[in-house]
Amino acid sequence: MSKKIKKTPVDLEKTVMAKVKSGEITMKPRWYFVLGSLSMIGGLVGLTMMATFLTNLIFFLIRRRGPMQGWRLQFMLSNFPWWVPILAILGIVLGVWLLKKYDFSYQKNFGLIVVGFIIAIFLTGFLIDFWGLNDFWSRHEPMRRFYQQLEKEDLPSPGRGSVRGVQFHRN
Amino acid sequence: MKNISKLSDEKVVEIVRTDNKEIYAEIIKRYQTKLMRYALYLINDEHQAADVVQDSFIKAYVNLQSFDLKKKFSSWIYRIVHNEAMNLINKTKNNQAMSIKEFEAIDDGVDLEDSLIKKELILRAQNCLNQISLIYREPLSLYYLEEKSYEEISDILKIPIGTVGTRINRAKVIIKKICQKK
Repeated sequence: MSKKIKKTPVDLEKTVMAKVKSGEITMKPRWYFVLGSLSMIGGLVGLTMMATFLTNLIFFLIRRRGPMQGWRLQFMLSNFPWWVPILAILGIVLGVWLLKKYDFSYQKNFGLIVVGFIIAIFLTGFLIDFWGLNDFWSRHEPMRRFYQQLEKEDLPSPGRGSVRGVQFHRN
Repeated sequence: MKNISKLSDEKVVEIVRTDNKEIYAEIIKRYQTKLMRYALYLINDEHQAADVVQDSFIKAYVNLQSFDLKKKFSSWIYRIVHNEAMNLINKTKNNQAMSIKEFEAIDDGVDLEDSLIKKELILRAQNCLNQISLIYREPLSLYYLEEKSYEEISDILKIPIGTVGTRINRAKVIIKKICQKK
């Protein structure tokens, strides 16, 4: 067995070096890895910001409207932009896949990364709302209009005829 | 270039990256036997092991610019071989390793009393090693046969150092059970 092992590596060296010398295999340039890292970081930052903002808005709306009642929850769910979390989940899956494919030599605990990522988003979203940033944004431009729109569209405000037993329907 | 054999792996890699591609042969010389042996522990097929090591050298060369010179090259290249071997094992589903439970349920009736000849003992030891699950076989072979430290094994397998120790200890118990089985 040991004889065979000694024999094989000589062939390996010749084969690999022949490919290197002939240019059949070439080193990927350094910028390729730098660009890969930057786009991955950029994508993750964008995804994190979007997910955090969305989570923060949920906390904001829950706080503004008090404890959830059945119809409110239903109303909120029916108006919820489901494509956003679906897109975010797809983004996370794509990011993990890219990380695995690109960073082939350093294995990471992807389960832990994803769980940590989700916890971090929820925590940050909650803290943003807790520290009153939503209230500040809802009074100042450029976010004021967005928040007004959100409050008008998402849930019926107390002054807009919320009568017990009457269901609200959008036209 | 005259004292290339005295340079560290990381220094050689730096030269390959910036100066002379052909120095990569030095890397292959340094690692081919070790990596072949390691791949054989994982795959148990010489031709497939050779393919894995060759592909790993090619992959390492292509991605050499991504290697962090502050880290240990040996851990990096072993990691690539590990990944390539795992890909092959998953693809061909030829991993014949048995789990501890499976092993305990089997009594193959091997009689070690007759195995007094050294060669046969070595062969049996090899067989014992081949019978244990890959998750135990790999750290055990890296520690005892490749003489890697717990830290290096942790780097190669990307598992915590504590887990390396646990797996090696469990592997020793399993090996003992297999080899001492009457």
